Amino acid sequence: MGSANQPQDAGLSERVGVGLRDRAARYRELRLTESELATLLLAPVLGFLFVVSFYPIFDTVWASLHTGYVLPNRTQTFVGFENYGRLFGNGSFWNSLTVSLIYTFVSVPIELVLGLGVAILLNREFHGKYIAQAAILFPWALPTIINAKIWAWLFHGQYGVINDMLVRIGLLSQPFPFLAKPTVALGAMTFVTIWKTTSFMALILLAGLTGIPEHLYEASRMDGATKWRRFRDITLPLLKPTILVALIFRTLPAFQAFGLPFGLTNGGPGEATTTLVLFTHKITFNRLDFGQGSAAATMIGLFALTISMIYVTTLYEPEVR
Amino acid sequence: MATADGSLNARLEEMSPQKVGKLLGFYGSIAALVLVSFFPVIWMLITSLKPASEAVQFPVTYIPNTITLENYRIAFEQAPFLRYLFNSFVVASGTAIIDVFLGALAGYALSRLDFDYKLPVLLIILFSSMLPFISRLIPLFRLARDTMLLNDYIGLILPYAAFQLPFAVWIMQAYFKELPASLEEAGLMDGLTRLGVLFRIILPVSAPAMATSAIIVFIYAWNEFLFALTFMTEDKMRTITVGIALYQGEYTFPWGTISAAVVLSVVPLLLFMVFFQRKVVEGLTAGFGKA
Repeated sequence: MGSANQPQDAGLSERVGVGLRDRAARYRELRLTESELATLLLAPVLGFLFVVSFYPIFDTVWASLHTGYVLPNRTQTFVGFENYGRLFGNGSFWNSLTVSLIYTFVSVPIELVLGLGVAILLNREFHGKYIAQAAILFPWALPTIINAKIWAWLFHGQYGVINDMLVRIGLLSQPFPFLAKPTVALGAMTFVTIWKTTSFMALILLAGLTGIPEHLYEASRMDGATKWRRFRDITLPLLKPTILVALIFRTLPAFQAFGLPFGLTNGGPGEATTTLVLFTHKITFNRLDFGQGSAAATMIGLFALTISMIYVTTLYEPEVR
Repeated sequence: MATADGSLNARLEEMSPQKVGKLLGFYGSIAALVLVSFFPVIWMLITSLKPASEAVQFPVTYIPNTITLENYRIAFEQAPFLRYLFNSFVVASGTAIIDVFLGALAGYALSRLDFDYKLPVLLIILFSSMLPFISRLIPLFRLARDTMLLNDYIGLILPYAAFQLPFAVWIMQAYFKELPASLEEAGLMDGLTRLGVLFRIILPVSAPAMATSAIIVFIYAWNEFLFALTFMTEDKMRTITVGIALYQGEYTFPWGTISAAVVLSVVPLLLFMVFFQRKVVEGLTAGFGKA
């Protein structure tokens, strides 16, 4: 991005001019040091993040240990882990955890493989590259809930175009109610998210591919390495940091899926596509059980943290860089 | 690769049949990907132009026998879609403005100032982007209710801005890092304060990065559903995502009018993507790919 300036140069000239500039600048700026100015600039951002992002996390944990959280008169009673007891005794919670785990860990690896394929396809210069990228990225930009409505119609059990196509090519003899069969509905939901986010995965990986220096490939080509070996020995290792970022930025949203099941199946049939967040939202805002809802929300936070930790510890290598 | 000058025929003649085949395969794959990406929305457009009776017909018709705008008329009559679109626009713009401003402040401090606790601050900001939204929803719902911010644009803008702020900070600091130090030195020589340098020199030359963050943040806020559904309980305050999700229509099979509503909501997004395609691609690349 922008003009390519060597950061070393900037650092050097900064250090050279530092003594002179410091005195003059401090005088003009009411004696603000760089560190004080940084504090001044960062304070609103950190304060804002604290109020809207961090404080709610603590409050959710607090709410999960109390009853009567939302009541206006604030008579909240400490109940210890009672809400967690009810949550863990709730079969719907375990069902939604299973649904979310299957949905996440089936869709993300497939997206990674397909995304890598698309990224390799796009990793060259051609006319209309930006237009092609933006066009392929269109599904990612579609609002999830609207996308869910669209696919609910495409998958429609009686009049859906997918049924029509499958009947026309002879794979089905009559329309099949995809979204009314538990396992098939979960499969359809997984398919839709793969369709929607593969392009996002591809774009991130493409940025990583572009950063791999061409001379590495040339050297290996001269050594007579096959295409596959070049991919395995050069592309994959150097792409590892990018893959890590892509995995984290896809797994966390997939694990928090809400709009897709809401719009595609409303969690059904039965609870076959009820994800963790859909379960939590329903129990909190439909059944108004804020205690159990907060316990579920806390658990989701812990799961998300665990997933990120696993990725970072298994894939992160400080030496690579 | 092929250059812009020289006619297509001349270039094809120079190539071996094998090369032509490869090129066709390449552009064929791109075309297939684009078709797969657009087919669902194209199908909604086709459905929306059919009369109600033809929309629910099997086998389906790929080219409508009768073309009608009736579905659009009914959709507009039954729900205030223009109002929903307007609400989404206000919320998304507000979010983008806050994030660009705060992102620039923090990004400047993190990229061009020297201070001890830089790494912890950066980690805190990035860590906040990994917190699940549902774990923040319930307290923020109570907070919004207690401060009368339910059914208020601000009630959505503030959480959205906080959720996307890490992204904006990241984009801005990456851009500032690339700017030459001489920019600041020249400003300081001319008697500007550090803050003056930021507002009069650094920010004006950072318009590209600001536009990039604004566009990605805008798309995020436009698409958000969980908070919009929970916070906007009055019909006239609903954003387009909630409006579409809760739109039922009056018939047993309202798919014609639902399709029309979906097409109405997708058109602004499509124009947005066409207009800002380069920025969107650059933003995602800089934001995630080069982390």
